[in-house]
This record gives sequence, C-alpha cells and structure tokens, in this order.
Amino acid sequence: MALPLPPGLTQNEVAFLAEMEMVTVVPRQRLDSIDLLGGKTPQLRPPHRAQLPLWLALLLKKQRRANIVPPAWMHPASLAEIIHRETKEDPEAFSPPPPPPSRALYSQPGTARRLNPSYVDDFTQTQQNSQQDPNSILSPPFLPSNVAESPAGYLPYHWLEVAEALLTHAGDDMPAPAGEVRSLLRDLVEVRAAKMRSSTSALEGFGDAYLTLRGVGAMELAENRAFLAGLVDGVRKIGASAEATRREEEEEARRGGDYGGDGDEDSDEDMGL
Amino acid sequence: MDIDDILREVDPVLHQIPQETRDLQDLTRAWVAERSTPELLPWPSNGLFERINDKIKRQIEKVEEMTGDMDPKTNFALIVIQTELERFKYLVRSFLRTRIAKIDKHLLHYISNDNLRTRMSQIEEAYARRHQLLLHNHYLNSFLGTFPPAMQNLNDTAGNISMIDSPDLDSAVFIRLLKDAEIECHGVDVDGVLTGKEGDIVILRWSDANGLVEKGDAELV
Repeated sequence: MALPLPPGLTQNEVAFLAEMEMVTVVPRQRLDSIDLLGGKTPQLRPPHRAQLPLWLALLLKKQRRANIVPPAWMHPASLAEIIHRETKEDPEAFSPPPPPPSRALYSQPGTARRLNPSYVDDFTQTQQNSQQDPNSILSPPFLPSNVAESPAGYLPYHWLEVAEALLTHAGDDMPAPAGEVRSLLRDLVEVRAAKMRSSTSALEGFGDAYLTLRGVGAMELAENRAFLAGLVDGVRKIGASAEATRREEEEEARRGGDYGGDGDEDSDEDMGL
Repeated sequence: MDIDDILREVDPVLHQIPQETRDLQDLTRAWVAERSTPELLPWPSNGLFERINDKIKRQIEKVEEMTGDMDPKTNFALIVIQTELERFKYLVRSFLRTRIAKIDKHLLHYISNDNLRTRMSQIEEAYARRHQLLLHNHYLNSFLGTFPPAMQNLNDTAGNISMIDSPDLDSAVFIRLLKDAEIECHGVDVDGVLTGKEGDIVILRWSDANGLVEKGDAELV
C-alpha cells in the first residue's frame, strides 16, 4: 500500500508531469468544451488554434481529430542555435531557461496581462493577496513554454519529454523531417549528458553547501537524481564527525570572542607554573 | 483606480485562473513536494483534498451516467473524461501512498511529537495510532514480553541515543527558486550563502530548503 520508492520523482513520474504541459493544436473537427476536473477545455472550432494539455492533444492526434503545432524552439534552426550555445559559448553550464511569459497578449494587441493574476474574487483583498500569494507564481508544467508562441532558442524544463512525445506521435506535423529533428535532439542530449557527467566529477570531495544547476531539464534531473543525491548524502555522512568538530570549534571561537578572549586562558593543562 | 482594477472590470475572465485549474496545480505541487522530501509535509490546508475528493466522486457518477448513453458524440467526451479522471486518481493515490510510506517508516516519531502530529490528516493519524498499537502488541507477544520490565519501552531515550527513528533532515533535495533569494546553506567543509535567481535549480540540504519552501519562495523539483 505504501509507496516503496525512494524520495525523488522517477522518470515515469516526470513523463506523467510533462504531459500536463500545454501545447497548441489545430483541430480538424468541431468539439464542444468538456467539463474536466482540471477546468473546462476550450471549444475546438477548426481551423482556429487552441491550447490543450499534452495528454489530450496526443489523444486527439491519435484519433486523427487534430494536428499538433510544434513549439518554436523545436525548429531545427532553433535547436542548432541551442547546440551551438551549449558547446561553444558556454561549455560549463547549461543553456539558460526560457524567460518568463511575456506580458503582452498575443491575441489582443494593446492589452497587457497581469504578472501575478489574483486569485481572490473579492476586490478589496486583491491588493494584499496578490503580492504574497505563492500560488500566483506559475512554474513548469504550468508555464506556457511549449505552445506555438513560446520563444525559440530556449529549452523549457520538460523539453526532452515533450520533444519525444511529439516526435513519436506527431512526426508528420514537424516543420522539418522528423529524422533531422531527432538527430539534433540526440546531439543535444549527448552534449548535456556530458556536461552533467563532468559536473558530477567536479563534485569529488564535495564540501560545498550547495550546487546550482540552472537550465537543467526534467528528464536529466530524474536520471541523475539518485546519483547526485547519493553522492551528496554520502559525502555528508562520511564527513559528519569532521563537520561536527568544525562547528564546535566555530561555536567556541565565537563564544571565546564574546567573553573577551577568556576561552583559551583557563586550560586544564596550564598548571600556573 | 489601479490600471489592473480597470482591466479586471473590463474582462474579469482574462485575469483569473479558475478554481479547478488552481486545484490541479496545487495538487501537482503537493504531490511533487511530497515525493521529493524525506520528511512528512503538512497536510494541504484550505480544504484542497475535500474539494478534490468531492469532484472525483461527482465525476465518477457523471461517467456512469454517460456510459448508458450510446450517442457517438458523447462517447468521445466520455473517453476524455475517463482519461482525465484516471490521471487525477493517479495523482491522489500516489500522494497518499507516499505519505503513508513516510508515516510507516517513522511511526513513533510522528505520533509522539505534537507539532508533527498536526501535519497528518485525521485519517492518517488514526491509521498511525492503530498501526503502532498493532505493532506494539505483536512485539509484546513475540519477544518483548520476555524482556525484564525495565527494558520493555519502545521509546527509550536513555544513554544519549533515542530509540525513536527520525527521518534524516539533512538529506539532499532539489529545489527550483521562484523568486530571487539569498539562502544560507550548510555544508561539510564550508557554510555558504547562495544568491539564487528565479528559475535556478539548486541541490542543497532539506534543513536549509525547508524555510524557503514553506514561505513559497522555492518549490521542490
């Protein structure tokens, strides 16, 4: 009954999470808005585009009721640029994540969207809540990073899962032959995996307090999570006694400083001779 | 008047995410967080689970109604609704199973401490107590009864070592920063201060990340 897995999402769970990302579809049939547990789906009227979660888009695609529009960053030119950035411009760190969604509304030129949409119906409470409400900050998979309007040249968090899903099920909708996109993706996977490996080898003797991995993807994290976490935990356990003595020394030094340097003077070994 | 108020009056739908989507987002975040931490997180407040349970029940009833109707148009909507229902149920089940696994691992730890007991929901607390009782009786009947009475305690704290297992609060977790923040981190050789920007993914100790996650400045990944 209890889940036997260790802490951390597995690859399957990450794939499940990635299926909640929104993508743009071009419907081929009319479909009314369905009342789902996660909200109402938009009404599908061909040939207008609509944004649907990936799992629903894949379902429609399999039944040939819609075509999926691949996001802009999946275009071969964009992927080539990202590969260039990863290999030449910044061989140490991963490429930066996409910028937060733009405030200008694509569909209604001239209107701006609030950065932190308020969740409270009561207008008087809005002013206080909108700054503090943590839910108002959206993050993957609820950022619109895989719709057709997403900026090119940046890899969103769930890039590998979404790319694989689209290539497998919607290969004919790609802007270029699926083979070309797939080979570019493969190159990208290899480059980033090499970076991940080199960053873990730099962790030998890891005594630092933290490690930043800005721009890493979800699947890469899931694959290396067990290794990285195990490494950091292992080093911590091995160094536990060393750390404890270091903290005690620091504490004593601080306390010694507070009492005006009295700490070291009353030593048992000092017989006063 | 604030420009935002004017915009909201003109088109209120534009600026609000509906309650259901928010619930889904909260449930997803709670699930990811629970799957990633070594210790039990507080039960989600503001009635999230009660609402979700209600909605699932109503959706199941709706599915049963629609199954009887053999119209091909509603048939497709039925498939979509069923798929989404299965996804939701998976999330809820995985979330609850993770919590039960954590409670099972450190039963006495969560029951004995008052603060930690409030983190469990009522059903979980009842389960934990019953489980502990059964386990204790089983131990007593198997071997504990043969020990001298002074040694029969399961929560002995003599000798500077507590018998109660607690979760390792310093294990490594991965977090994503939602706001720019300065975090004080503890390490083996050095203690550092991390200046993180929004969107950074950092690996650090759970004891350091705890405060941030509670405040909402970071989420677990």
